[in-house]
This record gives sequence, C-alpha cells and structure tokens, in this order.
Amino acid sequence: MPVTHSSLVDPQADADSKVDYGSGAEPVYELLEVSKHWKGEHGFVLKVPQLIILRGEKVALVGYSGCGKSTLLDTLAMVLRPDRVNRFTFFAAQERPLDVANAWKRKHMDILARTRMRFVGYVLQTGGLLPFLSVYDNIALSRYGLGLPEKNAVDALAAKLGIERHLKKLPGQLSVGERQRVAIARAMAHSPSVVIADEPTASLDPINAEEIMKLFIQIADENGVTLIVATHEWERVKTLGFRRIKFNLEQEKTDGNVHATVVG
Amino acid sequence: MSGLKTIVLLSLRDYSHERLLSACAIMGLAAVLAPLLVLFGVKSGIINTMADRLIKDPRNLEITPIGSGRFSREWISQQADLPEVEFIIPQTRSIAASMILGYQNAAKKRTLAVDLIPTAKGDPLLEKWGRVPAENSDITLSASAARKLNVTTGEIISGLVGRRVGGKKEQVTINLRVVSILPVEAFMRDAAFVRLPLLEATEDYRDGFGSITFSWPGNGQPPRNRSYPSFRLYARTIYDVVIVRDRLLNQGIEVYTKAEEIEVVQNLDRSFTIIFKLISIVAVVGYFASMASNILANVNRKSRHLGVTSLIGFSTKNIIWFPIVQSITTSALGTALAVGLYFISEVTINHMFGRYLAESEYVCRLSPVHLMIAFLLTLGLSIVASGYAAFRVTRIEPSKVIRDV
Repeated sequence: MPVTHSSLVDPQADADSKVDYGSGAEPVYELLEVSKHWKGEHGFVLKVPQLIILRGEKVALVGYSGCGKSTLLDTLAMVLRPDRVNRFTFFAAQERPLDVANAWKRKHMDILARTRMRFVGYVLQTGGLLPFLSVYDNIALSRYGLGLPEKNAVDALAAKLGIERHLKKLPGQLSVGERQRVAIARAMAHSPSVVIADEPTASLDPINAEEIMKLFIQIADENGVTLIVATHEWERVKTLGFRRIKFNLEQEKTDGNVHATVVG
Repeated sequence: MSGLKTIVLLSLRDYSHERLLSACAIMGLAAVLAPLLVLFGVKSGIINTMADRLIKDPRNLEITPIGSGRFSREWISQQADLPEVEFIIPQTRSIAASMILGYQNAAKKRTLAVDLIPTAKGDPLLEKWGRVPAENSDITLSASAARKLNVTTGEIISGLVGRRVGGKKEQVTINLRVVSILPVEAFMRDAAFVRLPLLEATEDYRDGFGSITFSWPGNGQPPRNRSYPSFRLYARTIYDVVIVRDRLLNQGIEVYTKAEEIEVVQNLDRSFTIIFKLISIVAVVGYFASMASNILANVNRKSRHLGVTSLIGFSTKNIIWFPIVQSITTSALGTALAVGLYFISEVTINHMFGRYLAESEYVCRLSPVHLMIAFLLTLGLSIVASGYAAFRVTRIEPSKVIRDV
C-alpha cells in the first residue's frame, strides 16, 4: 500500500531528516508555523510556532480544557485542517516523510486517511467505540480496514489489558473503565507508529485511571510507539517519563480572541 | 478494497443491531409498495384479460369490405406492404367460393356444403387457433363443419365442386387432408380454410375453365388479370384498425370493423393507466420524502460513529456507502415483503373471481418482469434518496463530532 504519494514527499523534510536531533533520534512530526482559527463570539486561535516530536517519545499536552489540546491532537491526527501551515511533515515510517501540508492543499484526503489507518491510533476520552460491534470487532476495526489478519493481535492485546472475557460483548455491556481498555486496544491493534490519546483516563476514578494509564504506557513502550497524550493533570503523568508541552494563553486586546501558543 | 468491505459489513451490522428501526423502515416500504403492486396487478390482470378477450383477438383486428368491389392483385400486395396491415388475402366471389365436403367413415357417408375461406401463412386467425394449410390439398375446418362431418384432424375428406356447362352437369372431386379444426369461438359458420390456389381453381372451374394445378378439365385457362370482389384483412394492432379503416374509406371502400368495441376497451385501458399513474406518483413522492428524511436523520444521529470510522482512517469515499448500503438493504427486504403480501392478495383475488374466468385468465396478475422492474425502481429510488445523506457524510468533520457524548 503506497502511503506516500511521490509528489507529497517533502524534499525539504528529506534533507532535514538528516539533521541531528541528538543521540540518533528521528522525528515523527515536524510542524512549523501551524495555526488554526476558530471564529465566533469567543474567537480562539491556536498557534504552533514549532513542534518536533521524536520517534518513541512520550509527549504530554498539558493545559486546561479549552486551551486547544484537542485541536492540536486532531491536527496531528490529520483530521483537522489548520488554516495556515508553513510545514507539516509526518514521518510515517523511517525514511518515508509525508508532506501533510501539501496533501491538505491538494485535498488528497484519501492519502491522509490511509496514513492514519496504517500509522496512527487514537484514544478518545469516552471510548468512541461503535455500539453495534462486539468488543473483538471494535478492536480489530483498523486491521479489517487494512486487510490484515486480526486474531493474534486482538487476543494478545485483550490479554494484556485484561478484557479477554469481554471480547464477545457489545460496548454497551461494559463499564466505563473497561471501555477505555477496549479503546486503547483498538488504537494499538494495527501496530501504529503513533498513538494519540485525548484525556484517556479523565472519566475514570483515580485508581482505575492510574492502572489503565500504566498499562497504556507499558504497551506503548513495548511496541516502541510514539505516545501523544492530552491531559489537564500534569501531576498524574509527570513521573511516567513524558515531555511536557504547554499552552500559553493570552487575550488579544484588539479583537478579544484568545490566543493559545504551543510551547515545548 | 478492505476499507469498502469493512464499511459494508459495519453498515449491515448496524442495520441488524437496530433491528427494530430497520424493521419499521422495511414495513414502511412494504406498506407503500404492496398496495401499489396489488393495484398494478389488478390493472394488468383485468386489462390483459380483456385485451386477450377483445384487443388481441384476431376477430377484432379483422377488416372486411361491405358489399363487393374490384381489387387487383397489385392493390392487394400494396396493402400487404403497409405497416399497419398484418395480413391481407384476396377473396373470390362468394357464390363460387363453396364446396361440398364428404366424409365416409365405417357407418355412413356425411356431406356438408361449406364456405371456402382463403388463408395463407401469417393468417392471425389460424395462427392463433389452428394450423395454416401448407399444401393446396390441406384444409382447416371450423368447429361446426368438423362436428357435422364427424371428422378429426389428420383424416382425409373429399371435396366436390360442381358446374353446369351448356345445361350439362359436371363435377370434380379432390382429396383434402384436415390439418386442424378451429374452436367454436374462432369461427361460427360451416367453413373450410384453404389456400388461395384452390379457391381460384374452384371459381375458374365454375366459370367453365380448367385447372392445370388440380388437373381439372375445362375450356382453356382463365384470364391473367384476375380481380377479386373482396378480401380478408387483419390490422397489426387494435390501434391500427382505425387507421386502416379510415384509409380504406378515403379510397371509397366501405368496411366493417369492430372499432367501436375496441375504443371502449382502449378508453378503459387509458383511464386505468392514468389513475394508476396518479396513485403511483403520490405514493412514490410520499415514500421518497419519508425515506430521504429517514436516512438523513439516521446519518445525523450516527454522525459520531461515522466520525469515529473516519478518525480510524476509513476514507470518505468508503464511508458514504454506510447509508447507501442500509438503504439498499431496506429496499431489498421491503420489496421482498411487499411481493410476499402481494402474492397473498393475488391468490385471494383470483380465487374470489375464479368462476368468471377462463383458464389462463386472471383478475390480478404481475409477471416476474413487472416484479423485477418494481424492485429495480425501488432500488434506484432508495439510492437516490440516500444521495443527500451520503453527501452529508462527506461533510462530517470528525473533530466536531467525535467528542459528543
């Protein structure tokens, strides 16, 4: 499956990929001057002057709700198109940079969708499971879409996350915590390069939250997955080896828009 | 490919997961379609039965001149070439066009004077009810003639033609093979259908001439330019009867047709068709609107799920099949249910009116082709109805819907 379109390979990014990020590290994301403007009564502008995320890194986007965490996550997941992009390169696998900015410009949405299906996993705050599919099928969804065999991958993840006995159930029959475990399994099932999680444990009780987050990180580490997690509780994750990315908020005097600038 | 396959499976899984709503949609379709099918079945059954009885009946397509005229061979063949004319054959003088048939069986000999009627390949009356004589010595009998002679198909009978030459009686006989016998409804009088050469020879013989074809003696051969006093003409369809009639009237030829009877049935057919179209249009528009709004409401309700599939990485061009597949499923199952209900009605209706009907006649009847057309129309309609919903799917922005609870 050709994930990168030849015209979408960023020559600049290719050159840059030889830049040393220190101790042989390679980038997964490279963003330069990316911004998204939400219009409306309470206008909001998210600005990313520069953001580089390295392969295997664990990154925490920390900030209050409404600070632009979800906007940044969706942009990184390539489902939300920013208004302005200087550079947005996704290094799906080694040596395969995808010029996402150009794909957006040319409306090559299918290439982005395929890249997402193959290389990205996404965990939502509340499951986001399809209620009409069994737990097993929910977990296997991206493997079905990719035409990959699913049995071993699903069973292995279910065992690690302790949800083997729920595989035949529908999501509606599970507790919130169990559903989050299924959501994590689904995001991991197709061995993605990057897993993006939006407040994955925010709707859980502290004990469950801690256990599930530990499992999540453990599975990510075992598979060398780059983890990008949004959270409003830095205290929860700061001991787990995350790099912190902050959002500086300020209100523009002239138009009253709130400007969030990504720092980190 | 796997993407599309997965979306199709997801769509069907969702369809069966929400089986109550799906069942309602299926019954909603059947509730509209089944009465339409019954209505259409009754229309086509009644009209077809009447058409078979009246419209397609060759007797109603027949056009014959009133009185006698002089029609040349050329004129007849010109008529035969007209697109509205199915069949035309000249008729010899009616006084000369007769023969005495005789049949000798074990007990006794029966004789019967019959009218000779010319026929040839393509004669609608004989093509429908009997067999066209292939040889000059072949003969097809009307029911009453066959009954009176006590003869059946395949037997040989004798034909006798007499004349008076200079006060002296003469006669010739010919052996004729009965190739078929028409049913009573096809022809009422005592008559025999034979090929034109036999009729012409009979006429010539009565005029004193001989016949080389049949080796009949006489005073030389008949003149070449024969003219005929009459003809048998069949229009191609009932719609052509009036056209042919008017054309003949313009040439000064008075004819007898069943145009009035035909017109009554045609009007009935037309009125039925208009009523059916009106009801169909109302039903189709109503159903289309309810189906389209239903699918759209579904897509709106499921926008989060569709957003999640998009987030996982299924492409929009695959996800648009989600509502379309469900729509197709509804139309397939709804049509199947409607057809089932229709068949129950069809059997009931035909049973109710059974005693007024001959075999192979129906009050309510739809051919498999009609049912197939109904299904394809429903299918097409449902795909069109899901069009706007599918367009809305392409507008779903995952980042706006995936966080809705």
